[in-house]
Amino acid sequence: MEDVVTKDPAQSAEELPPSETPWQESLRLFRKDRLALAGAYVLVLLLFTAVFGKVLTEWVVVFDPEVVRLPEKFLPPLTFSSTEEVPAHDRPFGGIYLLGTDELGRDVFARMLQGSFVSLSIGFIAVGISLAIGILLGGLSGFYGNVRLGLVTVDTLIMRFTDVMLCFPTFFLILTVVALLPPSIYNIMIVIGLTSWMGTARFVRAEFLALRKQDFVVAATSVGARDRRVIFAHMVPNAIAPVLVSATIGVATAILTESGLSFLGFGVQPPYATWGNILADGKGFIFDAPWLFFIPGLAILVVVLAFNLVGEGLREALNPKLRRR
Amino acid sequence: MRVKRWLLLAPLLLTILLLQSYFWVPTYEKQATGNPARLVTYIEASSGDAKILNPILNADTASSGIVGLTFEGLLDLDENLNFRGRLATDWTISEKAYLFTSPSNRLPDGAEVTGTGLADRIRAALQDEAFAALADNVRSIDVLPRVTRTTAVSVQTQDEDGNPARGEVEVTFDAPERVAFSLHRVDQDFFRRLLPVIGDRYLENFPYEQSLIFGEEVSAEIKAQVFAQLPELFPVAEHNPVIDFNLRKGVRFHDGHEFDAGDVKFTYDALMNPKNLSPRTSDFEPIKAVEIIDAHTVRVVYKRLFSPAINAWTMGILPEHLLNAEAMQREMDERGLSDAARAAFGMRDSQFNRSPIGSGRFRFVEWHSDEYIHLRRNDDYWEGPPEYQDYYMRIVPDLLTQEMEFRSGAVDYYGTQPHQVARYKEDDTYQSFSSLGFGYSYIGYNNRRPLFADPEVRRALGMAINVEDFLRYLLYGEGEHITGPYPPNTQWYDKTVEPLPYDPEAARALLEAKGWRLNADGWLEKDGKVFEFNLITNSGNPIRKNIMTIAQNAWKKIGVKCNTQYFEWAVFLKDFVNTADFDAVVLGWSMGVDPDLYQLWHSSQAGPQQLNFIGYNNPLADDLIVRIRQEYDQDVQRELTHRLHRLIAEEQPYTFLYAPLGTRVLDKKIVLVHKDEDGSERYEKIYPIPSGDITFHFHQWRKLEFTPSL
Amino acid sequence: MQAFILRNILQRLVLVFVVSVLAHSVIHLAPGEPSEVDPANPRMKPEDIAKIREAFHLDAPLYMQYAYWVRDLASGELKSFKDSQPVLGKIWRRFLNSLPLFICATLLVWTLAFPTGIQAAIHRGAVYDRSTTFAAYTLISVPGFFLSYIVILWVVDLFGVPVIGLKTFGMDMAPPLFQTMDRVWHLVIPSLMSALGGMAILSRYVRSQMLEVVGQDYVRTARAKGAEEDVVIYRHALRNALLPFVTMFGFLLPGLIGGSVIFEQIFAWPGLGRLGYEAILARDFPVILTLNFIAAVLTLAGTLLSDILYAVVDPRIRTGLQGDG
Repeated sequence: MEDVVTKDPAQSAEELPPSETPWQESLRLFRKDRLALAGAYVLVLLLFTAVFGKVLTEWVVVFDPEVVRLPEKFLPPLTFSSTEEVPAHDRPFGGIYLLGTDELGRDVFARMLQGSFVSLSIGFIAVGISLAIGILLGGLSGFYGNVRLGLVTVDTLIMRFTDVMLCFPTFFLILTVVALLPPSIYNIMIVIGLTSWMGTARFVRAEFLALRKQDFVVAATSVGARDRRVIFAHMVPNAIAPVLVSATIGVATAILTESGLSFLGFGVQPPYATWGNILADGKGFIFDAPWLFFIPGLAILVVVLAFNLVGEGLREALNPKLRRR
Repeated sequence: MRVKRWLLLAPLLLTILLLQSYFWVPTYEKQATGNPARLVTYIEASSGDAKILNPILNADTASSGIVGLTFEGLLDLDENLNFRGRLATDWTISEKAYLFTSPSNRLPDGAEVTGTGLADRIRAALQDEAFAALADNVRSIDVLPRVTRTTAVSVQTQDEDGNPARGEVEVTFDAPERVAFSLHRVDQDFFRRLLPVIGDRYLENFPYEQSLIFGEEVSAEIKAQVFAQLPELFPVAEHNPVIDFNLRKGVRFHDGHEFDAGDVKFTYDALMNPKNLSPRTSDFEPIKAVEIIDAHTVRVVYKRLFSPAINAWTMGILPEHLLNAEAMQREMDERGLSDAARAAFGMRDSQFNRSPIGSGRFRFVEWHSDEYIHLRRNDDYWEGPPEYQDYYMRIVPDLLTQEMEFRSGAVDYYGTQPHQVARYKEDDTYQSFSSLGFGYSYIGYNNRRPLFADPEVRRALGMAINVEDFLRYLLYGEGEHITGPYPPNTQWYDKTVEPLPYDPEAARALLEAKGWRLNADGWLEKDGKVFEFNLITNSGNPIRKNIMTIAQNAWKKIGVKCNTQYFEWAVFLKDFVNTADFDAVVLGWSMGVDPDLYQLWHSSQAGPQQLNFIGYNNPLADDLIVRIRQEYDQDVQRELTHRLHRLIAEEQPYTFLYAPLGTRVLDKKIVLVHKDEDGSERYEKIYPIPSGDITFHFHQWRKLEFTPSL
Repeated sequence: MQAFILRNILQRLVLVFVVSVLAHSVIHLAPGEPSEVDPANPRMKPEDIAKIREAFHLDAPLYMQYAYWVRDLASGELKSFKDSQPVLGKIWRRFLNSLPLFICATLLVWTLAFPTGIQAAIHRGAVYDRSTTFAAYTLISVPGFFLSYIVILWVVDLFGVPVIGLKTFGMDMAPPLFQTMDRVWHLVIPSLMSALGGMAILSRYVRSQMLEVVGQDYVRTARAKGAEEDVVIYRHALRNALLPFVTMFGFLLPGLIGGSVIFEQIFAWPGLGRLGYEAILARDFPVILTLNFIAAVLTLAGTLLSDILYAVVDPRIRTGLQGDG
């Protein structure tokens, strides 16, 4: 870590207090970016919502997203549940539908709560898969690229495979696979993950290639440090910044992809509620119960926007070249 | 800076270019009023495109819609769902029946059976008062000489690796003399009625072994297989229903070529030609022969009693001159196909399916895939041209934009979803229709599973579900609670059968009587096992999804644990339905007008890939089902179907849920025009016929410039 | 240079083969049958289904099915399962429908993204920059179909003109100019909708490229020499910032197929995306495989082109690429 700063000591000394590490510096820069900061707050809020959502809709059922109350279907937001029609144990928490009810009289607020966890986990798991593959392949290619396996080098093999994957139009590929396979939530996570690692692999490789020529890595290798140490102690921490940025944006993209799939009817299937399938179901009621369409739509917009802004903020804050200006 | 200027100018110019186009586009308002052609154009929106415009090949709804307008069958169904002549002016149904002289049998008085002897005996008996009804139906009795028939019998064999395979064995059957009866009307009990004359056991034990020669040496096992099939291949007593169609004279196809009997026979031959891969062969399979009597008379002889078979003739008739072997050859040459492609070339490959020529009310104009299909009225139609000049089927895949186009007047017809009906009924600019169709929804229990083997248990499950709730909340009243296997708008449905009451208490009591007790967790339990099963359906159908949710909730209340699962259609069929590997399913049937339930309910149809996947098995029902499909008299059929309906309702193999009402809206300006003899016109409100179809009088529809008060 | 091009073409031919084999196996191994042999149709007897299966070669071993596909594709006689029409003809007609939409959207993306991106870079951190950042990210973050519905309903409500489909019905008699303009109008909203995401991403990319370049020595030199600010930005900086965009052309073409399924669905646009989508639904294998094949060929041709362009512009790449071949 030190290496980045010491590389250009004169300049850092001018601008920064000497005690500040690059991470602290990035944090300070990030804090200055009001949009990104707002996004970060939204994400923290969302994370809490998701966790509480999971707890309150499944473990300690305070908001039950599955109770069907046919007499109270299509109630607009902030309507009180009427006591005559619905038995006491089916009544929503506090007797009020914060976000209205859907075509079966289910509490939209409870469904959105439950959906927040599912939507987020789709985003995180898909991105996790994509990062794991991307870093592994990109790293291998970048570090062991010159090792020959028979006729071809590792680098050729991996990069050509990446090219193969890039040849498929992504959304079309996801659609094909999801449509052909049984629609389970795991399939969707895996498919999104498996089709979005190519970018990560490419820039991890590029980063590794660049880092390998840097003085500190050359130095570490020349004093006989083992590969593993060189990779994990010196190269990975330096390549992590762009990975972090792409992960943040990847989560946003995965959430959007899931909503697109839901629109075409191939998204996550019930009983899982996701924001995407609540939105897709809601579009049929746009004239009759507009909140079923606008609430999930706006929720997705806000959250995806927050992820993107945080990603952008991170990119700016972590980019050493831009930082110097 | 030139670069800078261009960078700023380019987007500006592009935006202006794009946005100015707005001023050239006619508004919906202008399209509707300022354009007289719009009044004589009918535009319909469909979510999916047609696949193939050929009456013998199409299988999807969009295609059938277009094919129904461009082609015409010999018959169609009239307003009351009875057959009506179209390309046929009229038809008669009679029967030819054949009886083997069975050499090993003796007549009741011990006399030997010979052809003339048997015929004389029967002729004499028919003079008797006791056989007056039978005699009345017999037109003539003849004796046919012995014949030798050679045929290939399909058998189950093994290939070299010992895997099962289908093989064929050639056999020669030395058929004895036959007595041929010509009957005025079809009578499935004809031979049974003759039994007092020919002996009670005459129809049994025909000695096939004596008159069969195998073309090659075969194993005893295969011989046994062949013998097992003989009573069906060469029945001792055979019914051959015959339909004689008199064809309409002077009808022309859209290209001016005159329609005649040759086209009817050609259509049949093309359909049965294996190269054409028609999905409808099963409709025509019972046919033995289609004979051209003269240019305007066709005789259809059937192999066996099968009353729904006449239905098949509502299918459109193809023009022979455009699709026969020479025409195909010409097309192959024009397209310069390779030998491999020529070998596989069938009617399915012809360009005819993209620009069909029929004899219906509308002629085909053009088809832009996934955009629209354009038809224009056939001024030459024998019943007179339709009112509308042009017909468009626009493909608008998204339901929301479809509705939007309808509301703006760019589309004339919109199939409303139940929750929208109320909104349109209140609106004065539209006329709204709700009518029963031929479909219904049900929960089907796998009758083979011990859990559901008991009809009482199935009844209890049904009673726990409040179907009225479905109707009220899921369908907004646009549905009807049903009690049995027929569509409620047909005469086959017995309206006196009472629906299952909604009574969760009684349902629980029924289950408790069967030994199910509530356990500590609130689930019913027997012998340490919880009453638990999986309810599955296909994904992508919101109503079924909701049925699942509601059923799950309802059963939970009586302590039955139901897990719901959704599968993509193909997976759902392949892994669960076709292999009968499921507990319970939510599904629906779309029925026809005929009363034949053989495929859905007969116990022989419960194998893999067959439609009685719930494994319903009741000998009484089997017998009724067979009698219904062999009966040609509607009144008798109706009585039988009502018995079948009652029987199935008692057994509750399904929980019958509801038949949805088809709901759709039209602009109020569209009316039905009646032209009287004197040329005067009067308008009538459009109405659905009993089949639920509102487009039955489509050719009489007209869009007025004003909203009439009707 | 010739050797470089030749080797690249060869590599890509191998890739095309691998991609097609991969696609072939995925599609044939996945569960589900073409709807023509769908046993749910009670009209069809098992014998009929067996006949159709045979005609489609569905029971042949996988490699034979692949061979049939290659043979028929090469002879141009490959037929769709759905309607037995030649696949290439179908794809060509849809391509012609998709093309205007694609061109219009691409033009919108490229003409609008550059000025916005450059301006944002020049005014980095200012209100303009931050508001475009926010706007760009909002556009990326809206689920496409959510925004499309809102825009469609708004336009139809406010202006009362059709926006769905290729053209207005009943205009066959109108003068050609009216018909052309009518078609242009029908392009506006769908192409704008499908361009929004790309526009936002590209303008961000332009911005960061410009920022990177503006910090370079030669730009500082130019500025130090007293060149006018416009000249510095648009002559010295922009020209160098453009280089990476050359590679982006390669990835434009496959967007023709996969990028617009949702928009074509909403706007009733009979394009390639919908052809693919409907083929997936009906499991029309020849169409899916051929579309995928064409997409792969287009992508590879695109990357080949960009590699060559890059090599021409920047000779260092040639040696670099040789290194991994």
